[in-house]
Amino acid sequence: MVLVGFGTVGQGVAESIARKNAMIKARFGEDIRIVAAFDSRTLASNKNGLDPMVLISRKIEKGKLGKTRTVEIREMLPSIDYDVMVEMTPTNINDGEPGLGHIKAALSQGRHVVTSNKGPLALKFREISKLAKKSGVSLRFEASVGGATPVINLTTELLVCEKICSIRGILNGTSNYILDRMESESMEFEAALKEAQQMGIAEADPSYDIDGIDSACKVAILANAIMKKDVTVHDVERAGIRGITLDAINLALQENKVVRLIGEVSERGVEVSPRLIPRGHPLGIGGTRNIFQMITDLAGEVTVAGRGAGRLETASAIISDLVAILKEDGLAKKG
Amino acid sequence: MRVNVDLRLKDVPGQLIGALEPISMFNGNIKGVIHRHDEVSGGRIKVDLTFEISNQKGLDLILGEWKKREVDVVKIDHLFETFPLEYVVVGNITPDEMRRITDGIQAIGDVESIDIRYSISGSKERSAMVSGKVRNREAIRKANKFMAERAKKQGFVVIRGFGD
Repeated sequence: MVLVGFGTVGQGVAESIARKNAMIKARFGEDIRIVAAFDSRTLASNKNGLDPMVLISRKIEKGKLGKTRTVEIREMLPSIDYDVMVEMTPTNINDGEPGLGHIKAALSQGRHVVTSNKGPLALKFREISKLAKKSGVSLRFEASVGGATPVINLTTELLVCEKICSIRGILNGTSNYILDRMESESMEFEAALKEAQQMGIAEADPSYDIDGIDSACKVAILANAIMKKDVTVHDVERAGIRGITLDAINLALQENKVVRLIGEVSERGVEVSPRLIPRGHPLGIGGTRNIFQMITDLAGEVTVAGRGAGRLETASAIISDLVAILKEDGLAKKG
Repeated sequence: MRVNVDLRLKDVPGQLIGALEPISMFNGNIKGVIHRHDEVSGGRIKVDLTFEISNQKGLDLILGEWKKREVDVVKIDHLFETFPLEYVVVGNITPDEMRRITDGIQAIGDVESIDIRYSISGSKERSAMVSGKVRNREAIRKANKFMAERAKKQGFVVIRGFGD
């Protein structure tokens, strides 16, 4: 496989492969070999395989993986012999690049793609899905929504005979942490945000999280992948949590309600907005966890919760997608 | 609305079916029937019946059909099912603006009740809880649309309830 992007998530994937490869080989008969790894400026490659832990050490110590590259990653991919590309560059919701170009290049070459990058999926879902189908390869993206919480594969592979009527959930841990702290510690919004920034939960520029943009990307992905809609992030009706005051939180509490930023996909549309959730309702969870509630025609309510972000949490979803491809390939070879 | 009726039917075969037919004929939905064979009065058997019908006009048609079929209606109770309407509004909310909001929601129709509670705040930004009851989900949808438009126009933050 080729790793594209070697930041927090990329390093988490490398570490997870080092930790789980023996188990994967024992169970599925094949191990995962990294033949190339790209960061934003450099490249390390070895057709016999790179040591994941050496890659991590080198990145931490030297700030780079290997030789400086002069050519775009998408142009280098055809010269590498690989089966799967794992795309983990940062999300860009303006044009999806550079991730979109990497994904299209790999799919066009007939290579499987696993990605955590929301941008290409939230902007060009149908286009890249069609390209994967045309090339006869897999495009998997469990890590793009909910981190370690298996919402996409759960609904598309395990709840396969169900009609999914709606999906609602908390899709952004940062916003949830801020709302939870306002409620539990009677903090004003700015103080809760500052605390989240100090703890590394919120970015210096928190707008992507608190204005609901991150949640809207995930809503668009869920709508396309699970409910077969054809939408982009720009079609999602969006309101964030900026402007919510402690006063408002307290008014809600007096009615036994908590305020949560809820993403929703239903027949009525796609939306992200702050909502009043009855205390004790599953969607009223606190902290940075993500939660998803699907309403289906046979099973009724199905709810999953878990860690929505983090180095090894996101890597966990990527590894599960890689193993799914190993299994699919194994079945294909058996005929 | 949900309707409970206490009927008295002649103690001859086919009477119960004859009493139930008008409900489906006028698009009602039968929720429960208790045929009390042990309670006979003046040669008539007591039947407790619960059904749903969308409006008063439908109920009047059913009552008219029962009259034609000589079904005695001894007692009738009906009540409207209600759905909660809830918003927390945050911003520079004046009493005039709150009046516009309540008037706007009332104008949607099918509103059973509406109530407003303010937070006590020294700042210009204050919060208000708007809560009420409506008779159908369509009214919630219309109220949501109205509140979203109002919020956009006045620069409020609106936190919507979860009942839709």
